[in-house]
Formats: sequence, structure tokens, C-alpha cells
Amino acid sequence: MIYFDNAATTKPSVNAVKKAEQFINEEYFNPSALYRGGIFCAKEIAAARESVLNNLGLSSANYEVIFTSCGTESDNLAVLCSGKRGIYVTDNGEHSAVYKSFTELTNRKIDTHFIGLNKDGSVKTDELFEFVKNNNVGFVSIVHVNNETGAINDVSFIADELKKINPSIIFHSDGVQAYGKIPFAFSDNIDMYSVSAHKINALKGCGALIKKRKTHILPLIFGGGQENGVRSGTENVFGIKIFQYAGEEHYSSLREDFEKVNNINSYVRENLDKNLFDILSGSNASPFILSVSAKGLRGEVIMHMLEDGGIIVGNGSACSSRNRHSRVLTACGYGDNVLDGVIRISFSTSSTLEEAKEFTVRINETARKLKGIMG
Amino acid sequence: MESAVIIRYCEIHLKGKNRSFFEKLLQTNIENSLSGIKHTFKPMHSRYLIENFSEEDYPKIRERLHKIAGVHTFSRALVVPNDLERIIDAALEICKGKSGSFKVETNRADKTFSPNSVETSALVGGKILEKFEKNLKVSVKNADFTVNIDIREDGKTFVYSETEHGLSGMPVGSSGRGLLLISGGIDSPVAGFMMSKRGMKIDCIHFHSFPYTGEAAKEKVITLTKIIGEYNGGINLYVVPFTEIQEEIHKKCPEEYMITLMRRFMMRIAERLAISLGDQAIITGESLGQVASQTIESITSSNSVVKMPVLRPVIAFDKLDIIAIANKINTYETSILPYEDCCTVFLPKFPLIKPNLEKVVKNESNLDIDGLIEKAMSNIEKYSF
Repeated sequence: MIYFDNAATTKPSVNAVKKAEQFINEEYFNPSALYRGGIFCAKEIAAARESVLNNLGLSSANYEVIFTSCGTESDNLAVLCSGKRGIYVTDNGEHSAVYKSFTELTNRKIDTHFIGLNKDGSVKTDELFEFVKNNNVGFVSIVHVNNETGAINDVSFIADELKKINPSIIFHSDGVQAYGKIPFAFSDNIDMYSVSAHKINALKGCGALIKKRKTHILPLIFGGGQENGVRSGTENVFGIKIFQYAGEEHYSSLREDFEKVNNINSYVRENLDKNLFDILSGSNASPFILSVSAKGLRGEVIMHMLEDGGIIVGNGSACSSRNRHSRVLTACGYGDNVLDGVIRISFSTSSTLEEAKEFTVRINETARKLKGIMG
Repeated sequence: MESAVIIRYCEIHLKGKNRSFFEKLLQTNIENSLSGIKHTFKPMHSRYLIENFSEEDYPKIRERLHKIAGVHTFSRALVVPNDLERIIDAALEICKGKSGSFKVETNRADKTFSPNSVETSALVGGKILEKFEKNLKVSVKNADFTVNIDIREDGKTFVYSETEHGLSGMPVGSSGRGLLLISGGIDSPVAGFMMSKRGMKIDCIHFHSFPYTGEAAKEKVITLTKIIGEYNGGINLYVVPFTEIQEEIHKKCPEEYMITLMRRFMMRIAERLAISLGDQAIITGESLGQVASQTIESITSSNSVVKMPVLRPVIAFDKLDIIAIANKINTYETSILPYEDCCTVFLPKFPLIKPNLEKVVKNESNLDIDGLIEKAMSNIEKYSF
């Protein structure tokens, strides 16, 4: 099987899972418990927090890590719980986790504003800065890597510019498709950053919100006061430890993997039949995501045809496959003809050039065959 | 205090000499439906009685009774010996927490029981008023609820106040067998439910066009079939591979004939499968004029390839009426999931609205009809629920 839907989820790292097994077999204790086992688990979680910060070059003096159940929860926590006054601003390229949280803000009678996208899915930064200059903006959330096109927004630069215009703004970024994949210098103007475990070869059911210590947020989930009272609920020790180990694996070879995946991405880009496919991802997009459209054909049909031959790709965003057309790609300005044919090819650090070679031959054949049938 | 469920039927009462056939069938259907729940079951003078079940199983029993065609009404009753004091206790228990107006009605099958029915009602009513005078008052003409007392000859009295309506209709299996064409849309599951309610035992056939429709579309049909199965005492689904037929029509016939010809293939395959399964009719969810393939001309075209009766229970229903039933039977939310279904990929821009049968037959002659059908039928997948 060739699995090229790694933006949806990734295969858990065998080593990370093995290393964490002790937390289900022996050290299964509640980290809030006061006996030795509990204290041990609490310490291990503290080590996992340090590790996440360390990966991003952050210090625990300024930042803290709140473990959550997923990237979506982290985004909800950031957007809904800062209690900041003023207009809340985001963009049309956000994952539903942020986008729908903004819809919820609107329902709560909070002023929101959405910034437009360039054709490649990146945010129109001029439009953003202009809006922030002219309005009383309290909160801005901009996705780091667009999960459908792979467009990278330079969130450190954006955060710096925003704080120059208005230092009191809270800046959040959804880093789910960037953490463990994209090398970047984390600006200390980023107040909150969401990450997810299963996108980097750890397990589903675990995520984190990285937050500046001085950025105040209220809980979304109340209870026993875990995670500094911001996120109650007994910690998912096993999931958190796998997240830590998988993160360390990724950051131990971040740049090499980035280059490797970049080569795979370039190979596929160059070898897709341009009579059949339009490339939607920009040339400087994340190499992990390549969005293409088989114009005039149905992306879902190609996906199924490939699936029949053991090749897995995504059609648009898996989280929103209940909707026929992608909201994000529609916002990029594409018409029905392109939107119907969208296929998201997404790689992982374990993808290989050999797979890419076979993949390109097969997807070209498949689209050609379908075009022959559908005319 | 022991409790029981009294189940009543309706239309079966109209049956003549073959009434016992229907009664036994309904009894079997109820018993099968309650399998896995500890209880005892017995027929009782044109009614059925469920007893000796545990309290926590009642919600399950109730839910299942609501899905059995032929059950007209049912009541949960308290069971006490034929003893006035015990009957009063049961009536008081039933009235706990209630407010408004009430009346008491007594039915005395055990004529040796004294006092008589009218006196019993009066006595019990008096005791209820005495205990709940703040919340309850008597109203014989416009009571909010009735306390029913049923004094039986076998020494047991049933006391109950609430009667729920079941599906009514006829017991499944009493009206033959039919094969439902199920698409994944809103209408066909409703058609299947309606025929189940009229007592027809149903099989389902679905045309699957992988890769033009994916696993999600098939799973959607499976989910819908399971729901219909709950009203049908279990169900079988036959999934027919339809891709090659669609591709052949697309290649060899004019675009606007796509849907018309597809429908004719579906009907032919359905009839052949129905005969092999012992089904006596084809059931569709067609509703007159709803889409191009459901005009009277289109229906004539698809109907003309089969001899078997084609039942179309929603033919005269408006979409909103169909949706109302789909909501009631819980198929609507599944039906509206937007996975590609059989028709969307090959949908012509301008489908024929009033196909001319002669032209249809002529256009179809380019195809190896029997060859395509045989190939599709030899690859049918069966699912049983």
C-alpha cells in the first residue's frame, strides 16, 4: 500500500509506542495521585511538556504546554477562552476547528472578521495588516500551514508585524500541519500555538496548546484542575508520552526530513501529467501537502480508483468530507470545474521516492482512464 | 408490585376464518423481536401479555414494540390479584406524580368479582381523590387520563393508565415478499418501511458503482437497510456491481438516455433476483414527477421491461410528506449524507423527461443486455442483518 494521506493522519511510530508501553503496562497511575506511581507519571508529563517547548526552541520560563485531547480542542481553547475584548480576526483558510469556533464567537455576539486568501491558500497579509491598523482588533488567529493546499503563512513575521501595529493583540496560530514538519523560528510575539499528536506519528486523542505564561485563558473543561486549571480531566499519560517520543524523533532530523519530503513532492509535481492535472499548491508550500485538481473529473472517483489498487490519497479535507466542495479552496477562488477534481496528496517523513514514482505513473494512468470513460 | 405489558392488535380483528394465522404470525414476530430480553409471553383473549421482565429492560421492550407491524397499541400495567385492596394500591401507585383530571374504568371479565364494575370504579376513584386531592380531580367526560382496571377470570387484575400507539398495519410475513430497490436517498427507505408496515417481508437490492461511488455510499445504504430491517424482523441486502453497465451505456448510447437505460437495467436485474429469492413484487421509492426518471413516461419505460408487479408506495406523496416519515423512522439523517450515489457521476445535463419507448428500445439495442446483466448478477454480494 502507498499511503499518501498523511495530512489526515499518520502511522504511529513503532519505537515511540514501544517506549511508551510502560505507561499502560506498569506505570498506569493517575498523575494527580500522591503515591510514588502517581508522582512518577506527573514527572513524566512534565518532561513531555519540556520536550514540546524544546522542539520549538522555547523556554518554560515564558511558555507553558497545556495537553488537550486534540488539535481541535487546542484551537477551541485558544479562540473561545481568551476573553479578550475587541474584534476577533482570522482568515478563510482555517481548519474548521478555528473557523467554526469563530462562527461560535459570532453567535455569542462577538465581532469577527475574516481575511481573504491568495490563490495558493495563503493569507492576504496586506489585507490583514490594513484591517488591524484601522480597527480595534483584540485577537488574531492565522493558520501556520493550510491543511488543504499546504500554503505556509509566515506566522512569526505576521505576529511581529501585528504587535508593532497593536501590542495588546493576542496572536494564535494553528500549527497542526506544521509542528514536527516545518523548520521555523518561533517568534516570541506568538502567544498561543496549537499542535496535534497524530499528525506526527503519535496517537489520535492527544494534542496541546502552547501558550505564553502571561497570556490568560479561561478553561473550556472544568473539573479536577489539571493542566494548571485550564484543562481538567485525568491526563492521557500514554498518549502524551508517545506524542513526546514521536516529536523528538521528528525534531532529531527535521531539516533532513524536510529536504527529503521536498524532493518527493517535487518529483510528483514534475511528473504529474499537466494535461490532466492542475497543481493548486504554491511552489513554496509545505512539501508535506500537494493539492492538485484533475480538471473536469471527480476527485472522489479518482481516489476510489486508486484505493482499489492500494493507493490512498485524500479528497479535500477528511474532516469536512460531508461537504461536497472544500470551503477553503472555494475561498481561494476556484470554480466548480476545479473543485470537483481536487485530490490532496500528503506525504510523511517515511514516504519514499520509489513510492512517489509508482504513484505518479498510477495516478496519471487512472486520470487518463477516467477521462476516457467520462469524456 | 409485578408489572406486565398488554399488547393489542387492530386490523386482524377484521379477519375471518384465517384470523388465527395472523394472530400466530404477530405472536412469532413479537417473540422474535424480544429475543435476548428475559420475559414470558402469552396470548390472552385477542391480546398478548408480556410478563416477568426486569424493570431496566422495559425501555428496550418499548422501543422494539414500536417497530412491530401489526401492534396497534400497548400499555404497561401493574398486575395484582383480584382483590379490591390490592387493586386500590395499584391504582394509587399509577396516579403518583400525576395531575389534572381523571376517571376510572373497570372491565370485569371475572363476573364473580364483587363489587360490580361501576361500584369498583367509584370506590377506587374515591380512594384516589382522597390521597391526591391537591393534584387530581374527577372528570368523566374530559379526563386527562383514565385509570383502567381489568379484572380477569384467571385471578389477575391489570391496572394501567397509559396506552401507546404502535405502528398498526399487518404482521410482517402476512403479505408476501418483495424486493426493494434501495438507493441511499430519502424515498426508497420510506417505501420499504411502508411495505413492511403492510406486512410484506422485504429483501433489498442496491446498485453499487465503485469507483464512481465509494465505500461510504455503500455503508450509507447498509445503515439504511439495517434501519428498515428493524421493522422487518431482519433483512437481506444484495449489492449488485453496476459500474460496467453504466460505462457501457455511457460509451454506446446518447447521453440523455443514461438514466432511462440505467433504470431499465436495474428493473431487469431486480426482477431476476426477485424470482430467484421467491419475492413476488418489486418495490421502488418512486414519487410521480419528482425527478426526470419518475415521470409517467419514464416509469412506463422502466416498467415495460418487467412482468412482476411493481409497488410504489410513495408514488403520490409530496417530498415533505416522505421526509416526515423518514424523520419518524430515523432514516433522514443518513439519507442526506452527500456521498456520490448511483446517479450523480453520469448524470446527463438534460436527461429525458418523457422518453419515447420505441426510441429507448432502439438506443438500447447497441448493448449486450443479457451479457451485462449476467455478469453483474454473478458478482452480487449478500449482506444479512
